[in-house]
Amino acid sequence: MATTIPTSAFIATPLRCSTGRSSAIWVQKAQFSASSSSLGVSLSLKRPSLRLVSVRCETNGAGMPVIPAEERWMYEESEINGPDIWNKTWYPKAADHVNTEKTWYIVDASDKILGRMASTIANYIRGKNLATYTPSVDMGAYVIVINAEKVAVSGQKRSQKLYRRHSGRPGGMKIETFDQLQKRIPERIVEHAVRGMLPKGRLGRTLFTHLKVYKGSEHPHQAQKPIPLPIRDKRIQFVKK
Amino acid sequence: MNKDKIFKLAKGFRGRAKNCIRIARERVEKALQYSYRDRRNKKRDMRSLWIERINAGTRLHGVNYGNFMHGLMKENIQLNRKVLSELAMHEPYSFKALVNVSRTTFPGNKAVPKKEGLSSIL
Repeated sequence: MATTIPTSAFIATPLRCSTGRSSAIWVQKAQFSASSSSLGVSLSLKRPSLRLVSVRCETNGAGMPVIPAEERWMYEESEINGPDIWNKTWYPKAADHVNTEKTWYIVDASDKILGRMASTIANYIRGKNLATYTPSVDMGAYVIVINAEKVAVSGQKRSQKLYRRHSGRPGGMKIETFDQLQKRIPERIVEHAVRGMLPKGRLGRTLFTHLKVYKGSEHPHQAQKPIPLPIRDKRIQFVKK
Repeated sequence: MNKDKIFKLAKGFRGRAKNCIRIARERVEKALQYSYRDRRNKKRDMRSLWIERINAGTRLHGVNYGNFMHGLMKENIQLNRKVLSELAMHEPYSFKALVNVSRTTFPGNKAVPKKEGLSSIL
């Protein structure tokens, strides 16, 4: 029943496409719906201005429109040749660090040396493993740590390493050893270690929220499909002597 | 400098520093000192940022920055750190070729990274 033709807009394009590098070619085609073929009649007779013609801007090899030499003075250099990526150091735009598109990593902390594991985790959270690293922008990934109560330390640290906190009032210092804290709140040990290795400041505090530590082996982030964290430290596995 | 010039330079300052001449004059003087110092610091910071990015890019291929640059110097490749960092970000395959050139000249890092996770895609 369709004599109406849903067509895409046929815009008379200007000769010079002065948009950015991304829209290289403007191709405008009149599209005919499928039902028009059943009529068997070329519908171009009704509207002579609709023709199957594609209008393209003249482009050079870089995808930028060609500007004749006598008009080159009217344009800026970025309009002629595209943005200059070789002379200006790249800085990420908002679309380059969207939180929903970041990778998620997962680490099993059982029998891993605390500090060595925390160091790699902090590197990945900060984004220092990426070539696009920027210190002022959160380019890093999310890291999930499971089995936090099984994290290991070497030497006598299990009974000798002290975790201190102070309430602010005189005489308000509370001291706990490593194994006491591990019995009480095991996640805090890994969090304390990683927090000490992340930058301190506004950005560091948001980076810290990208660390997720859990006591058992279950975590609620299956939907993010975390991949195992690539650890290159050879001495991270705790060896019982 | 007269007051108008001071206030023009004090745009965007916090609190009374943008409105009251006595405070604005101090802050503007400090701001000009900082900008003098930071025009020199910016060159250092930029180079340090390029080095960090190159380091990250080469470690993806199992080579660290020091050995990579040593290999490049041996081969007399005179690409500067700015260009190398942009290559690492935008032209990964060319960068990998450079890393291989450096590694054949100076195989400092013997350990090849185990292909785990994302690095196996590269």
